[in-house]
Amino acid sequence: MSPMKLCVPGDKLCSVEDCIPGTGVYLRHGYIYSSLAGYVLRKNEGEELPVISVVRETEAQLLPDVGAIVTCKVTSINPRFAKVHILYVGSTPLKDRFRGTIRKEDVRATEKDKVETYKSFRPGDIVLAKVISLGDVQSNYLLTTAENELGVVVAHSEAGAQMVPISWCEMQCPRTHAKEFRKVARVQPEYLQA
Amino acid sequence: MAGLELLSDQGYRLDGRKATELRKVQARMGVFAQADGSAYLEQGNTKALAVVYGPHEMRGSRSRTLHDRAFINCQYSMATFSTAERKRRPHGDRKSAEMSLHLKQTFEAAVMTQLYPRSQIDIYVKILQSDGGNYSTCVNAATLAVIDAGIPMRDYVCACTVGFVDETPLADLCYAEESGGMSSLALALLPRGGQIALLQMDARLHQDHLETLIEAAMTACKGVSKVLDEVVRQHLQEVSVLTGE
Repeated sequence: MSPMKLCVPGDKLCSVEDCIPGTGVYLRHGYIYSSLAGYVLRKNEGEELPVISVVRETEAQLLPDVGAIVTCKVTSINPRFAKVHILYVGSTPLKDRFRGTIRKEDVRATEKDKVETYKSFRPGDIVLAKVISLGDVQSNYLLTTAENELGVVVAHSEAGAQMVPISWCEMQCPRTHAKEFRKVARVQPEYLQA
Repeated sequence: MAGLELLSDQGYRLDGRKATELRKVQARMGVFAQADGSAYLEQGNTKALAVVYGPHEMRGSRSRTLHDRAFINCQYSMATFSTAERKRRPHGDRKSAEMSLHLKQTFEAAVMTQLYPRSQIDIYVKILQSDGGNYSTCVNAATLAVIDAGIPMRDYVCACTVGFVDETPLADLCYAEESGGMSSLALALLPRGGQIALLQMDARLHQDHLETLIEAAMTACKGVSKVLDEVVRQHLQEVSVLTGE
């Protein structure tokens, strides 16, 4: 592979007729300019024009975007909502925690009004959720777990042991065999380690 | 002070430079590991340290959140040992607040804030030694720090102060020249497009000279941008060697 070209913010890379702009670049007057200091990457994604983007070795901070699957940790619960700290966006860890909220009506898709947050999450649970809104001035990111694949993935029982899921709404402690209620995520079989 | 001419008959200034000559610029990027981006820049005897954090969640007053872009928070401060007399109030005084505001306006013009809605980018600059051109050194150091943090920018932001004496513009003023009572102008430029990010002047200057002064400032800024470009490219090469690319 030919050595990749270095570029700095403001470098004119090419015209918009030659490439499609990707990440780390911006469009101005029909030309594509770099907005980061890094290496120019041209990829053919199957469309007529290659996608041009600028990459750095260290990934810049990623922000949770609408529709992204995020991994978060529950910090407090309340009859109306649960407050969480967003730790990972997709598979990228965030350097800084973002705050999110899972409202009672977004916990599951059916029987939304009969949800009890105490029976869905507990503080300290690791939850997979999807971002539905960036929120407004007053609120944080709004998240939802109203899908089969979203919900609690790791939870500890009151005895302190990591619980095993037994159904979509229950988890069992291996030590005391006590069952606790959670909104459990159905993890795809290929992601489970044998 | 008798005998202290800002521009001698042979065209030499107080420190021996010619009228359009800039001071020596030395810079390093990535000086701190814990911050997202950092840079240290020396312009002659003026030394500045810039540190960038972000983009991260809005802290402090949540009411200042902007729904469509990032909020840039700048703080300028001077070390107590930076000036000839020990500085009584390093931050919180009016001069620092004004500088912080100018830095914020400068970087709002260059950083692509629309990519990070509802978040905050912090830029902290500290002057370790002050010998004139504080604002310009801060802007140049902060540019390198923002690039080091990987925050997208339209172009570099380069700044320079120019003064006007004996019908000649002097580029990159030092402290003795600034306090010598001449009209000085500070300009922050996006060199590639020739766009002015900030222009500041609080002195008296005849309108006929303004054009020349701005031209001289733009030339000086483009000179600074060449040096910064070198520093960035060299840093990129060093980092890529370390990560074995």
